[in-house]
Amino acid sequence: MDPLTPPHAAPLPPPIRRIAVDRSPTTVAAPAAATNGHGHGQPSGIVGGGRHAQRAGRAGVERMRLEDLSISYGRKLAVNRVSLPVRQGEVLALIGPSGCGKTTLLRSLNRLIELTPTASREGRIMLDDQDVDRMEVTHLRRRVTMVFQQPNPFPMSIFDNIAYGLREQGSSRPRREELEPQVIDALERAGLYGEVSENLDHPALRLSGGQQQRLCIARALAVRPEVLLLDEPASALDPRSTARIEDLLVKLRDEVAIVIVTHNLQQAFRIADHVAFMYLGELEEYAPTDQMFGAPRTQRSRDYVSGAFG
Amino acid sequence: MLGALACLVLLLIGTMVAMVLYTAWPSFRSNGLAWFGAGAPNQGQLDDIFNSPANPAAYQYELRAWPMIWGTLLTTAGAVAAALTISLLSAIFIVEFAPPRIKRVIEPVVRLLAAVPSVVYGLVGVLVLVPFVGNLLVSERRKAEVQYVVQLTGDSLLVAVLILTFMITPIMVAIMVDALRAVPRSWMEGSAALGVNRWRTIWKIGVRAARPAIVAGVVLATARAIGEAIMLAMVSGSWFAPNPLDGFTFLVEPTRPLAASIVFYLEGRTVPPLGQTLAAIAAVLLISSLFLSLAGWAAKQPLKRYGIV
Repeated sequence: MDPLTPPHAAPLPPPIRRIAVDRSPTTVAAPAAATNGHGHGQPSGIVGGGRHAQRAGRAGVERMRLEDLSISYGRKLAVNRVSLPVRQGEVLALIGPSGCGKTTLLRSLNRLIELTPTASREGRIMLDDQDVDRMEVTHLRRRVTMVFQQPNPFPMSIFDNIAYGLREQGSSRPRREELEPQVIDALERAGLYGEVSENLDHPALRLSGGQQQRLCIARALAVRPEVLLLDEPASALDPRSTARIEDLLVKLRDEVAIVIVTHNLQQAFRIADHVAFMYLGELEEYAPTDQMFGAPRTQRSRDYVSGAFG
Repeated sequence: MLGALACLVLLLIGTMVAMVLYTAWPSFRSNGLAWFGAGAPNQGQLDDIFNSPANPAAYQYELRAWPMIWGTLLTTAGAVAAALTISLLSAIFIVEFAPPRIKRVIEPVVRLLAAVPSVVYGLVGVLVLVPFVGNLLVSERRKAEVQYVVQLTGDSLLVAVLILTFMITPIMVAIMVDALRAVPRSWMEGSAALGVNRWRTIWKIGVRAARPAIVAGVVLATARAIGEAIMLAMVSGSWFAPNPLDGFTFLVEPTRPLAASIVFYLEGRTVPPLGQTLAAIAAVLLISSLFLSLAGWAAKQPLKRYGIV
């Protein structure tokens, strides 16, 4: 275990069946929910367990806002009139059953959805009160970077992977020495530097799956984004790597706004400050995490977070 | 069964190589390394070989093949360089930028062009390009100035390179399109998600990942260019070693590559020394294609460790 991992992450939860764990917050976290929901700016003093504790009282500046966002593939409506805020200093988790449009929603935040020829979008997405459609798409994607479900390091060395985004930013070609501090900083922020500091020139594809995914996070952080999008970043990883990435995200949320799509309700509970539950393209409920898992407003959310379907 | 067939193929190739080398040996032995050197005009030498006395002891073998080798190098290098540029850019266009409508037309056409027999291209060259170059690009004055050194008729390096380029480009485009398409989408998306534009993405990630296939395409096309005989025999003109110092005239000077030379003297093959000389030319072509494969293999090595295969 390297020094960057917080000590409380060391004992990993055993692989329990989901239903059992999903239910636990209903009893434990319910009191915190009320405080959290209205506790803007005021630390409440209520202490929960583990990472959960840090959540109390945080509500950051709004960085992105979705207004009536609808996305369809051809005729098929994938996301239907969703409005959501994305705040700095918190982790927003998008949950919902498969095919509910959460990945589509995520991909629209940096207009990556435009790579899909059939997709069309309506509604507005604002980044710092600026319509993303009015922005140069490359600038937008540098401010809102993305990490994918499958780790996808480029077939280059570790160093070149991180330096790639930096090198492509400017018209000049910075030398390696100039890039090195930024590359090392990105790797440190992603908690990978300790493991790869000796061999930055090794091929990135030789790393383990978890390391590859942290490399991808480092790559996304290297361009100093304001919002970090993650599409089920841990679904292809083992529990240990998953825990490391979760710790990382909790640590990163102060610097960047984080939006994460996850299938894993425990994960959403562990790391998110707000949770958006989507169902068949609709935003069913958007609430602080404790409230979503403790006292969901709609019947469908209640069924989903309690594991009745999914 | 399949193994036996594979062995049979290997055996056939081996026999062929052995036979060519065996037949070619007298020519190499008689000339030594000077075979590859420069010297007297090739036409005169080959005519002398053709007119050798019937007595085996008096066979003529003298040949200084450099003008032909130079011709092969020039036509091949010129055509491959041009075709690589053109085909890489068009493959990138087809894969990344072309609207679907254009894509639907371009791709079948490219594949069709790749299948056109070279003699057709040669005919187009003879009927269209050679007169164009001979009558319009070269002034009468220039022709008169150099007429005691070389006849500028329009049969030229320029036409040879142009048509050769046109011949090998479609193969390279077809191979590169397939290769670029096979680049994992996740890499391209990963790059796009970092705010890198489409051109830089396909150039830095796509072309890089597709490089082994691009190298394979270049090797294949180069092999075709080196071995192209009929078309070059039709348009490249007489024996001459074009001199780059001649400026523009360099381009319109005639040349005769190795493979085209074999075609020209094919009828004389029954004269033993000429047959052996032609075999020697063939052996050089054969060995150069072997080195080509080696070069292609070597070009792929540096990327292997990064996971590109």
